[in-house]
Amino acid sequence: MDINVKVKSNLGVRAFYLFFIISSLQLGVGIMGAPRIIFMEARQDSWISIIIATIYIIIVIFVMYLILKQYENADIFGIQVDIFGTWLGKMLGTVYIIYFAATLLSVLITYTEVVKIFIFPELSPFVMGLLLILLITYSVLGGLRIIIGISFLFFLLTHWLLFLLIEPALEIDITHFQPAFQASFTELLKGAKATNYTFIGFEILFFVYPFIENKEKVKLPVFLAVFWTGLLVLITTVIAIGFYSPDQLERREWSVLNLFKVQSFSFIERLDYVVVAEWMMVITPNMILLMWGVTYGMKRLYKVPQKTTLYIVSFFLLVGCTFIDQHFQIQKVINGVAQFGFWIAYVYPFLLLPLILLKKRRRKRRGDENSA
Amino acid sequence: MRKKRKQQLNSLFPITVEKLEQLMNERFENNPDLSISTYEHQDKKIAVFFIGYLIQSDKVENFLVKPLLESKKEWTNNLILNEIPIGSGQETKLLDDILEGLIIGEVFVYIENEDSAINYLLPKKEKRSLAKAETESVVIGPQVAFTESMVTNLNLIRWGLRSTDLVLEKIMVGKRTPREVRLVYLKSIANETDINTMRQRLQEVEVDAVEDSNVLMQYIEDSSTSIFPQFYSTELPDRAVYSLTNGRIAVLVENSPTAIIAPTTFFNFFESTEDLYMRWNAGSFLRLLRFIAMFISVTLTPMYVAAVTFHYEIIPTQLLISIGQSRAGVPFPPIFEALFLELMIELLREAGARLPTKVGQTIGIVGGVVIGTAAVQAGITSNILIIFITISALASFTAPSYLMGTSIRVLRFPMIILAGILGIIGIMFGICFMLIHLLKLTSLGRPYLSPIYPLRLEDFNKVLFRLPQNYQWKRFTSFRPKDLTRFSKNKAAEKKDIDE
Repeated sequence: MDINVKVKSNLGVRAFYLFFIISSLQLGVGIMGAPRIIFMEARQDSWISIIIATIYIIIVIFVMYLILKQYENADIFGIQVDIFGTWLGKMLGTVYIIYFAATLLSVLITYTEVVKIFIFPELSPFVMGLLLILLITYSVLGGLRIIIGISFLFFLLTHWLLFLLIEPALEIDITHFQPAFQASFTELLKGAKATNYTFIGFEILFFVYPFIENKEKVKLPVFLAVFWTGLLVLITTVIAIGFYSPDQLERREWSVLNLFKVQSFSFIERLDYVVVAEWMMVITPNMILLMWGVTYGMKRLYKVPQKTTLYIVSFFLLVGCTFIDQHFQIQKVINGVAQFGFWIAYVYPFLLLPLILLKKRRRKRRGDENSA
Repeated sequence: MRKKRKQQLNSLFPITVEKLEQLMNERFENNPDLSISTYEHQDKKIAVFFIGYLIQSDKVENFLVKPLLESKKEWTNNLILNEIPIGSGQETKLLDDILEGLIIGEVFVYIENEDSAINYLLPKKEKRSLAKAETESVVIGPQVAFTESMVTNLNLIRWGLRSTDLVLEKIMVGKRTPREVRLVYLKSIANETDINTMRQRLQEVEVDAVEDSNVLMQYIEDSSTSIFPQFYSTELPDRAVYSLTNGRIAVLVENSPTAIIAPTTFFNFFESTEDLYMRWNAGSFLRLLRFIAMFISVTLTPMYVAAVTFHYEIIPTQLLISIGQSRAGVPFPPIFEALFLELMIELLREAGARLPTKVGQTIGIVGGVVIGTAAVQAGITSNILIIFITISALASFTAPSYLMGTSIRVLRFPMIILAGILGIIGIMFGICFMLIHLLKLTSLGRPYLSPIYPLRLEDFNKVLFRLPQNYQWKRFTSFRPKDLTRFSKNKAAEKKDIDE
């Protein structure tokens, strides 16, 4: 297996689009329920937790960037094979693929559940799953350029939802944030850890990096994307905490969606219906990117044609979302993915970096000896 | 050696005039249209043959037959080529060439015992005179439309574009009945890759016959299964000329009153040449209006169906009461009601298109007013739905391209069905699917949704809105024309301080 990826010249992507890739993979189902989960840990100081989490992710991304910079044009699969050898490297690569597939499943079943709660209580998860998987399959068949186009276009087409939050934002009660700075440091850290399901997704940088044309400009869009996601989670959390009393917030699983109920116009009410439907546009790029990651990974590691993986994974997803339809099961999957993601996305890069630097130094020394 | 023998075998001449006449009649199966006249002049037999209605018979009479008979000279092939005052004389030896020549309007002269016949190309083509554009009618600006005659169309384009750069390549398409196709572009502006792609696609078309430019378009489009047209088919010469000056390519087909323009983006289908002729702000408004109209046309009725079938809560109480009252007596579920009315509108449109203009108007009035009112009074439909359906039908007709308008109208039906089955989720699915499909499309290899994706902000003023002409000094960069600037930027006004 080649460590570096040879990218066809017509498949290059401008670094600018990394902003949309990363933020649309980060924003997904997580943000719908994030405020409550964070609030349960850090209470009125949740906003500090979110800032801590964002800063931490920026550090992680910097580490990821350092890792990628050590190679000419490699992705995580190549790097792992280089560091750990073919056998272990491929196994770790498979872990990544399983992680992506699990995240994909969790997004799918969570959204199906939300639709069931808010719009159609009787909806069969099979139908909902079929619709979403149709969209995923159809888009992934288009290739990487189309996938990035979808994340870009859908990003633009969903952000008008922010305007609907103006009305609840005006009704914030400042006293809900007082007294400030009450949470202990461990509580803040726990709050920060609670955001991890919302924030995961930036690992895609390990996958798409070889496709970026202008690598010198990678940093800015990536940092901006993480910053933007952090800001959105911060805004929604602040509005949710300010708007609901602590008791109310703890009882509302999808607190952000409930916020949209406040806004109404003379011709339309209950915008939460529209928002839940519109959320399909938020999660579609999310799932498409994850699916692409799975198919691309299988191709890199085992040379399986992407189409084969696509159809097989689609089938299993459909089966999965049909049978995992109980609330506690879905929560279990989400918690599992969050735990999984915590180790893979937040901790693993820190372990990988010293190994790579070590190897690089050793290789350099050997090279020096050889040349001498 | 072998080749020579073959040629001799095929060569028809020399032959006696009687035998030639017999042979021709045989090959044409005694078709009465083939006229063969034989003359005797100074002991030499001369045969003149042609198909009567394909040639300019007065010219044949005055400049060919008369001089032949009145002259005192003894005729030979060389003498004819030198003396007869028609330019395009050529010698022909093969029977197949003669047969092919006859059907494109050639006149043949054969002098007995000569070893070749002489042909003159004197075709007569029936054509109608220029008329106003019908499907792409405009309020201001040039009104004239292309006709079925290739010569007329080329003439219109040449006069619109007086440039030596203009290239009009000729390509024959069609195996059984070849048809002349012209690839038109401005050499100094059009993108080289685009030209080559288009030329290659035209040359690779392997079909027996091409009926019209719209048919040819479907053979050479990027995705033949998509519902959206990927090339613009226009009947306005000024639109074609405008596109050519912007570095795009036009394809003209013989006997077809529309030109194909490529590459095209999705947004091109909503721009009219009128936007250019109007003030920039009014033009921008109209263009924006068409985009909104397209969106309304696709989503309005489905939204109604979804809301009334599944999500009453979305509608505010006041509005819900009036909708409820108007629907109170209607026995059908909303999806059938909507499909029924949409179908009726489509029937009216189709009937109006097939009937002569005067009758068509009557049909419109009868259909629109009488059936609509009667349907409401009979309690089959609600009048609020009629309002929605009419608005969305009107909106779909604002697209300047008839092909795109039709696509949008057809798209409404699956959307209504999706809305009727899955409510707002179904609509969202439809929209997502459509957007993904649009993203996947290309036109001549160029992304269909440019300049939105791939994003090129400097092109926005050409597709989504318009700037004053002085500010549009750049061409549409997404198509990568060879020459990007239309005129020097310096013309733009320099900054001035307040006038005291």
